[in-house]
Formats: sequence, structure tokens, C-alpha cells
Amino acid sequence: MLNNQQIDHSTGRRHVARAKILTVLTYVALVSIGVIMLIPFLWMVLGSFKTVREVMQFPPTFIPKDPTLANYKEVFSRLPFAHYYLNTIITSVIPTVITVLTASMAGFGFAKYRFAGRNFIFWLILATMMIPYPVTIVPLYVMAYRAGLVNTYTGLIIVSLSSAFGIFMMRQFCLTIPDDLLDAARIDGSSEFGIFFKIITPLTKPALATLTIFTFTGNWNAYMWPLLMVNTDRLRTLSLAIPLFNGQYASFPNLVYAASTMAVLPVILLFVFNQRYFTEGIAMSGLKE
Amino acid sequence: MWYKIQRKIAPYVFIFPGVLFYLMVTFIPAIIGVGLSFTNWSIITPKFRWVGLRNYERLLTDDLFKTSLINTFRYAVWLIPGVIIVSLLLALLLNTKVRGITFFRTIYYLPMVTPIAVASVIWMWIYDRRTGILNYIIGLFGLAPRNWLNDIKTALGSIVVMGIWLAVGGNMIIYLAALQGISRSYYEAAEIDGAGYWQRLRFITLPLLKPTTLFIVITTTMGALRAFAQMNIMTQGGPLNSTTTIVFYIFQAAFTDLRMGYAAAMSVVLFLITLVLTFIDWKFLGKGVNYDAE
Repeated sequence: MLNNQQIDHSTGRRHVARAKILTVLTYVALVSIGVIMLIPFLWMVLGSFKTVREVMQFPPTFIPKDPTLANYKEVFSRLPFAHYYLNTIITSVIPTVITVLTASMAGFGFAKYRFAGRNFIFWLILATMMIPYPVTIVPLYVMAYRAGLVNTYTGLIIVSLSSAFGIFMMRQFCLTIPDDLLDAARIDGSSEFGIFFKIITPLTKPALATLTIFTFTGNWNAYMWPLLMVNTDRLRTLSLAIPLFNGQYASFPNLVYAASTMAVLPVILLFVFNQRYFTEGIAMSGLKE
Repeated sequence: MWYKIQRKIAPYVFIFPGVLFYLMVTFIPAIIGVGLSFTNWSIITPKFRWVGLRNYERLLTDDLFKTSLINTFRYAVWLIPGVIIVSLLLALLLNTKVRGITFFRTIYYLPMVTPIAVASVIWMWIYDRRTGILNYIIGLFGLAPRNWLNDIKTALGSIVVMGIWLAVGGNMIIYLAALQGISRSYYEAAEIDGAGYWQRLRFITLPLLKPTTLFIVITTTMGALRAFAQMNIMTQGGPLNSTTTIVFYIFQAAFTDLRMGYAAAMSVVLFLITLVLTFIDWKFLGKGVNYDAE
């Protein structure tokens, strides 16, 4: 009897010990993968405060020996960096506003009305989603070229005024809104547009936020299309300017790091302060049946 | 009366801009692209001839096209298991009762929001032969420095590693959402039957994650097929075309060599490959597990 109890006690303790070891191992794994994931960012940010001598030396230093802000100042004096910022803001904000509007309207239309051609059009969008973006890039360029849109803001913006992901997401959200609510508004004399702006928009706010943030990040980070549309400094965005700058200032990585840090900062801040929406959007993209 | 008309028209007005702007940059160019692939157009002159299937015939004998397909395939074959393993591992680790989940999730997700052009530039410096941190780290283990991006043996692999770094955060979140959707009752039942952690993982978690894995395999395949920025910025398809992927080659053919028709033909082939691969993924991985159905 006594013997039995003792055994129970020691296996219990062993269990606790094992659980503790597992927890420690979990943290070790999480932290070490985290460090690996962070290295490029640390390398960039720390490098942006180093002098050119320090950044070029081997073995490398991690913490800058005498940190300086001179690199940031120099980026602005060597490049029309403020202008690149402005271009990136223009080509991110305008398409985002338009996409959020067009996609949420379309999502609402598909979710809450029955009309001739609805299923066909919806199916067409679904099928078109299967076409990888680069497949259409050559004909798309030809179209833009013929329309005289190369080297214009319109040309940069025109490819991102709607999004299939946005239409789907907004449709899913609108489906959860009860029809009774819309009918009640109709009885009160609201127009269909009134319903959209006064009922749907407020009720889908989280989805709209998710869509806004996703679209903005996508536009901010766009590379392939701007590369085709732009070959003048006047229209260059940050994603085009940084690799170019890197090529021209190959012996000044400290300047490249400072420019890169400034290009990355807005999206990272946006992400850190709106994580919930990112997580929801990503999870939604994976959960659709 | 007006009320009825309004309700008839409203849906079309609602969907029109969104659908138009979407199809205008996807469906319509896709159709035009097919037409373009039967021409020899160079874009600088308005003149072009219909050449029938000649572009497609030429693809069959184009060694660089073959190389680019092989490179793309190799890129995908290394990227997909890497992304799956790391993101699943991270999701499993975060699905335990650890503290600071939000903190770790933030860090793992950061690469996803980083502009690919900037990430490529930073990774170039990490891989740099003379001052790069990677050569420093392997030096600590007594290994000789390498010229990672300028060596046929390591260039594509280096880009794969960066690709994994980019993609694991988002896929980890998808796995995490799927893990949290698995009913506790399965695990409780298994525990009563005396199943340990590995058995539960092997017989409950992994089978139930199969649809999620399928989704990630398909999206990662799509991502691998369209990889371009890294190749364009980090290696320019080199050295010796060892990182020339299909999209990179399409770009070169279209915008360096100005062979729009030929590039369009390659795009059509890329699309067909996408369809076939998605179908194969579906066929082999598609049989989802559903314990509730029984």
C-alpha cells in the first residue's frame, strides 16, 4: 500500500519535471527560430547606424561602435528620397481606397441580391483567380503601352483597383448579416445605397479594416508592375529605388541599410499596431472551403 | 415602382466596378495573351504577323526554357517542404500553453509584410562574400566562406532559404487557426485510450490538418511558380542561368529581347503548368479527413 503510493508520487513528480523540460525546450525553439527570423531586420537596422568603415569590416560588428544618424541624412541628400516616399504613398493609398470601396460593394452585391448572371460572374472571378499574376503581365503591359499609360501614375494604379480576395472576403462577411435588417431599412424608406452605406459598412468594419491593411501592404510592397510601368525618377517608388540605390552605392551598404529601414518602417508599424486584422485576414484566406 | 426598378438595378451597380476592374486586369489580358502567343509581335512597331504555333514549336527546342522550367521546379521542390515543416513546427509550438504567443507571432510574421525588393537587397548583404554575416557565422564553425549568390551550387538554394523566411509566418497563422479548430474531444478520447503526444500528433493532428496542408501546398506552389523579384534583384538569373526561373525568363524575353509573342506563349504554358500542378496536388492530397462524417 505504502509502496504503491510512493510509486505514484514519484511518477507524478517525473511528469511535472518532463512538462517543465518540454516547456523550456519549446521556448528554446521559439526563441532560436525568432532570432533567425529577426537577423535580416537587425542586420539592416543596426547597419544603418554604422559608419561605412565599420559596416565594411570583417569580422562584422553587431552593435554599432559609435552610432550615427548621418546615414539617414545622407540618403535624403543623395536621393530624392522624399519624392520616392510620396510616390509610394500615392500609389498605395489611392488604389487601397478604391479597392476597399469596389470590393465591398461587389461583395455585398453578390451576397445579398439575386440577379441574372450572378452565379456565372462569380464563377468567372473564381476561375480567373487560378491564373497566376505573371501569366497576364505581358498582355497587360501591351494594353497599358497601347493606352499610353507607361510612365504615368494612372498606369501604376490601374491594375490594383479591385481584388478577388476582397470581393470574397466581403461576400463572406455580408452573408452573415440577416436579411431582416435590410428589409427593415427598406420599410423605413432607405434606398439600396443607403442600406450599403448606413448598415453594411458599419457592420463590416472589422472586415473593411482587414481588407484596407492587406491591400495597403500589398500596394506598398508592389515590385513587378511598377518595374514595368516606370523608367523615370519622377515616378519611382521605394521598392524600385532601393535595389537601384543598392546597385549604385554598392560600397556604401550603410546608406542602403538606412534607406531600406525607412522603406520598411511604415508597413512594419502598420502591422505591429494592427496585428489582429492581419491575423484575421490570413486565417480567412486559409479557411475558405 | 421606382423601388422595384431600384432593386433590380442595384446589384449590377454594386458589382460593376469591382468586377470590371478585376476582370480588366486578369481575364481580358489572359485572353489577349493567348492571341498574342500566335504572333511575332515586338511591341516597338505596330506591325506583326500571325505565326500560328511557331512560338510553341520553338519552345520545345529552347534550352533556356527547359532550364528555366527545371530551375522553377527545383525551387518549388525545396521551398514547399521547407515552408510546410517550419510553419507547422511553429504552429505546434505556439499552440501549447506558452506565454508571449503574440510576441513570437509578430516576429515570425514580420517578413511577410516586408517589401520583397527591400528583403532581397538585405539578403544580398547577408550572403555577401566579403562582409556578409552568413560567412561570419559559418566561419565560427570552421567552414570556408562562400560566394553564395555567385556560385551555381548555392545560388538557387540561397534564394530558397530566403523564400522560406518570407513565407513561414503567414502559413504558420493558417496552421494555427486550423489547429485551434480541432475539437478537444478527439484528444480527450485518445488520452483515455493511452495515446502519447506523438501518437496524438500522428493519428489526430496531422490527418485533420490535411486540408490545410493541401491549401498551403497549392498556394506555395503558386508562389514558387511566380517568383521573380528575388531573381531579378539578387542574381539576375545567374550565375550561368542557374536561377533563371520561368517568370524571369518570360520577363527577359518580353522586355529585354522584345519578343512579346514568344513571352506570351511561355505565359500560356506557365498557366497550363499551374493548372496541371494544382490538379495533381488536389488528386494526391485532396482526400481530406473528416472524423465527424462517420
